[in-house]
Amino acid sequence: MIFNSELSGQQQHTTSPVVTGGSVIALVYKGGVVIGTDTLCSYGSMAAFKNVEKIAQVSKNTLYVSSGEFSDFQQVVKELAKIDRSALQYDDGVHPSPRDYGNFLARLSYKKRCKINPLYLQNVIAGFHNGERYLALVDIYGTYLESNFVTTGFASYFCKAIISNYWNENCTLDQAKQVIRECFKVLFCRDCRAHDMIQLGYVDEQGVHIEQAERVETKWDFNGFKTRANEKLHTQ
Amino acid sequence: MLKHLYDTDCVTWSPQGKLFQVEYAMEAVKQGSICLGLKSSDYVVLCSLKRQPSELAGYQEKQFKIDDHMAIAIAGLTADARVLCKYMRTECLEYKYTYESHHPVGRLVFKVAEKSQHKTQSGAKRPYGVGLLVAGIDPNGVHLFETCPSGNYYEYKCQAIGSRSQAARTYFESWFHLFEKSTLEQLVLHGLSAIKKAIMEDEELNEKNVEVGILGKNQKFLHLNAQELKDYITKLEAFNPNSQIQQE
Repeated sequence: MIFNSELSGQQQHTTSPVVTGGSVIALVYKGGVVIGTDTLCSYGSMAAFKNVEKIAQVSKNTLYVSSGEFSDFQQVVKELAKIDRSALQYDDGVHPSPRDYGNFLARLSYKKRCKINPLYLQNVIAGFHNGERYLALVDIYGTYLESNFVTTGFASYFCKAIISNYWNENCTLDQAKQVIRECFKVLFCRDCRAHDMIQLGYVDEQGVHIEQAERVETKWDFNGFKTRANEKLHTQ
Repeated sequence: MLKHLYDTDCVTWSPQGKLFQVEYAMEAVKQGSICLGLKSSDYVVLCSLKRQPSELAGYQEKQFKIDDHMAIAIAGLTADARVLCKYMRTECLEYKYTYESHHPVGRLVFKVAEKSQHKTQSGAKRPYGVGLLVAGIDPNGVHLFETCPSGNYYEYKCQAIGSRSQAARTYFESWFHLFEKSTLEQLVLHGLSAIKKAIMEDEELNEKNVEVGILGKNQKFLHLNAQELKDYITKLEAFNPNSQIQQE
């Protein structure tokens, strides 16, 4: 908000995000879909909010996560909850399917993109409906892509090789979770805006399950670190 | 209906608690030619009798597709029906654009009912003079709704509205217990039999004055063509609902 008499009152367009969430990795497995995200919201390069729950349950069988501007994420969660409440309003017990949410989000993102005031988000919608697994990515422009695996942010660069080598769409839940944990290990090492606390959530026939945050496995007691081989003073 | 006091506009109640303008609007529905709907566990069938204003004119269509999964049959003022039809089609398109899935049927009927109710609570407006039979399929199942100028709506297993519809309803009361398990062909024949009860003595059903629409779980809304109608009307001679009971 700019407190300047000329500009206050004019609508601003989101040109860069302020408080951002990190990478999201989502994988389909034999009985459903699992999503992993870290619990950090960065304020630029500062790790400002380290214990944020970023996996939102939108309905009985749908999960929503995104990376990007966190306030936009919070707003979208509200918008999606509004749709879910419509079943109450119309007294017909008809709940939107995960695909309905995905498409709605795509239309919403596209509309905001057309006004050059985007929701600064890479969105991931995951769900399980009528025996079918559902996973989709909606990006900042409103592009809608259904897929068996989705990565956002730095995960798209560092993690696709791991996913490709160790995951397939019919693996078990535990195998899929392990792949996600491996990915976040790598991200914590290589992505400056990553954090070592992650949270997993999955959706299956029974519904949505969001797990407690867990710490990424890291190993720092390498001999090289202990002896500080790289830091020996060079003498002429 | 005789003329009453307290019937000048929608915003005046009668001492008996009636809104006469709304009741008069429902009379307009009763003046329209008969249309009926009936459903089984997989199909909904709409049948209507089309009127011909004069020998030189065509027959007035009474069934309109709203979306692949929904259709209406109208009785009453056709012009008012056009307005509601356009509204329903627009809502379905918008829903499809936003969610890529079909508009839930009950919800759309609710919206139409709300729109209709608005017209009954204003000094400057009149109620819609048309009743709709809305046939639709959605994840909740197979539906048949009736909407009223009053803004009420009801879900039915089978219903007939319009002129001489009581005769068709009487037919339904005798046979509706068979509809749930009926095949599509049986359903259409039941519908045509019900219409036959409602026509005048000197009229007869033919492929020109009858309209049949079919909607199914795996069947998008479809009007039967002239040849198919002819075949069904021929089969009507031999149709005996009693034989259906023996099958069960």
